[in-house]
Amino acid sequence: MQIRDYLIRRLMILPILLIGVSLIVFTLSRVGGSPVGIYLSHEMTPDEVAEIEERFGLDQPLPMQYLAWAGGVLRGDLGWSGVSVAPVTQVFPDKLAATMELSVAAAIVAVTLGIGLGTFAGARRDRLPDHLTRIFSVSGASMPVFWFGILLLIVFWVYLGWFPTGRSDATVYASIAHPTGLYTVDSLMAGNLAAFWDAIWHLVLPAITLGFGTTAIITRMMRSSLVEELGEDYVEAARAKGLPERLVMKRHARRNALIPTITVIGLSFGFLLQGTVVVEIIFQWPGLGRWLADAVLRGDQATIMAYVLFTSVLFLTVNLVVDIVYAYLDRRVVLGA
Amino acid sequence: MTDVIDTPLTATPVDGPVAVRVRRFLELSRQVLRNKTTLAGLIVIIAMISMAFLAPLLTTPNVPDPYQMPRDWAALNQPPGTPGHILGTTSDGGDVLYGVIWGSRVSLRLSVIVVSVTVTVGVIVGSLAGFLGGKIDEILMRIVDVFLSIPELIFALAIAAVLGPSFGNIILALSMVFWVKYARIIRGQIIHVKQNEYVDAARVTGDSRFRIFAKDVLPNSITPVMVQATLDMGSIVLVGATLSFIGLAEAGLAEWGVLVSKGQVGISTGRWWASTFPGLMIFLWALAFNLVGDGLRDVLDPKTESR
Repeated sequence: MQIRDYLIRRLMILPILLIGVSLIVFTLSRVGGSPVGIYLSHEMTPDEVAEIEERFGLDQPLPMQYLAWAGGVLRGDLGWSGVSVAPVTQVFPDKLAATMELSVAAAIVAVTLGIGLGTFAGARRDRLPDHLTRIFSVSGASMPVFWFGILLLIVFWVYLGWFPTGRSDATVYASIAHPTGLYTVDSLMAGNLAAFWDAIWHLVLPAITLGFGTTAIITRMMRSSLVEELGEDYVEAARAKGLPERLVMKRHARRNALIPTITVIGLSFGFLLQGTVVVEIIFQWPGLGRWLADAVLRGDQATIMAYVLFTSVLFLTVNLVVDIVYAYLDRRVVLGA
Repeated sequence: MTDVIDTPLTATPVDGPVAVRVRRFLELSRQVLRNKTTLAGLIVIIAMISMAFLAPLLTTPNVPDPYQMPRDWAALNQPPGTPGHILGTTSDGGDVLYGVIWGSRVSLRLSVIVVSVTVTVGVIVGSLAGFLGGKIDEILMRIVDVFLSIPELIFALAIAAVLGPSFGNIILALSMVFWVKYARIIRGQIIHVKQNEYVDAARVTGDSRFRIFAKDVLPNSITPVMVQATLDMGSIVLVGATLSFIGLAEAGLAEWGVLVSKGQVGISTGRWWASTFPGLMIFLWALAFNLVGDGLRDVLDPKTESR
């Protein structure tokens, strides 16, 4: 199949998927009963309840309610967040910035460590570093993120006192403006190096915790694709013409081994996104994940719906982009949905 | 993305007298167990399952509900090594060892139920799609795609949140999310297996469609499902514990995620044990099933070494 045809096919399916997701989200929000409950108090008469239902269109049949809700979403109205006591869209940007900053930091940790370790192990196949790396990557896939974070806190916060929890020091926070909501960027824009270090300092433990599982996945993929590439004919050819091993590795094998690894990096995005929920709870990070956890525990439907919709759209987009990038990078791939 | 799992695993039909099958099974077991890490994983699994079964003998079950943590109000926050509480106690006098042991029972129940339900549903849906093909395939696979559009943990979290906090609801939520993978795997397998000559041969001899499916297609498509199911025995406990850590199980349940969450409060004052031991159990459980699942895959399907 041509890349263009494949792309068109994927893009055509996308709206179906989005409608499907929105239907699931809407259904879930109505399984627990009518959302009228959040507007009610004990003193209200049945007439008043009916009036509220009418005002919010909750007396309409469910399909109409769905259309009203979906229309609102398309116009940028995501409802009222009970846990934040504000419209969802108003609270969202700050939380998103916090989560973005954490995720990017975790991705940096995971990509550098993962590619480095994977190359190191792959080049030393079946020797001790390879075995140790294998143990590391299997552990990463089995590690409860929340437990790993707590272990880091016990060692580095409680006993050693090296790293703090939370997102920033209160006085440091007050000392600079926050136009982007990304504290590292904000501090650099303000030219305040102390604030920058404070932001980094707070990022270290949560980023390592969040990135750990992804590091394991990337390491494993990098290792196995490097091992595969090293067995290819072109590597033999490069060696035969007398190219030093270091250059064979760097210019040929590693470059090709990176192609499948890039795909895995893209696809592990969902993994990272899910991890933010617990990491943000443990490190008291004021992002989307902790917001969702609060909403879940307090039955705040609007917040949950907004979160699930947002992550799914993001997840679908990233996966699509990854597939396209992969298809361009590696023409040998036979595309098929 | 190329779907590596789509490749057929067995080129020859599994058929023949019982003795052949037993011999084949023994040969496979021998190959799987030759790998030391797989063997280590298997030993951990056997230890955990034994612990789950022997829980009432290893500890005095709490009355009336043994799945609730017993409270020893005379021994709050005791460190490991305290007489009667080898692994210490929680902030409300729950014995950490009791939680570790009964937690294995809770996890075993969780993973066995969820894996059985999801494999069954997934295999039925995937078989219908793969074997019948056409419109049915198209519709079923679009539904599968929609389910795959929401990240697993987030989806399960949203479902469990709607159903309300209880461990039973966590089981239900995970069952609703995890079947999709199996549907995809089995569909891909069946489409490949269907093209084999022995299937054509069976058709020519006049076997009914159902008979061909049950006798020739399904048995030759099931191997990657078994590998995935083994891996999921571990990851379901991981996700389940994450949900209960977030607060979606009953408070006081003797479950590992609940215990880690409870113990987290005390770490700032140096009480590390109440989180550490139950968390270690989750890790070991997931690790053991991952090792065995990997070992199975290496032997049954060497082509898809890693995911």
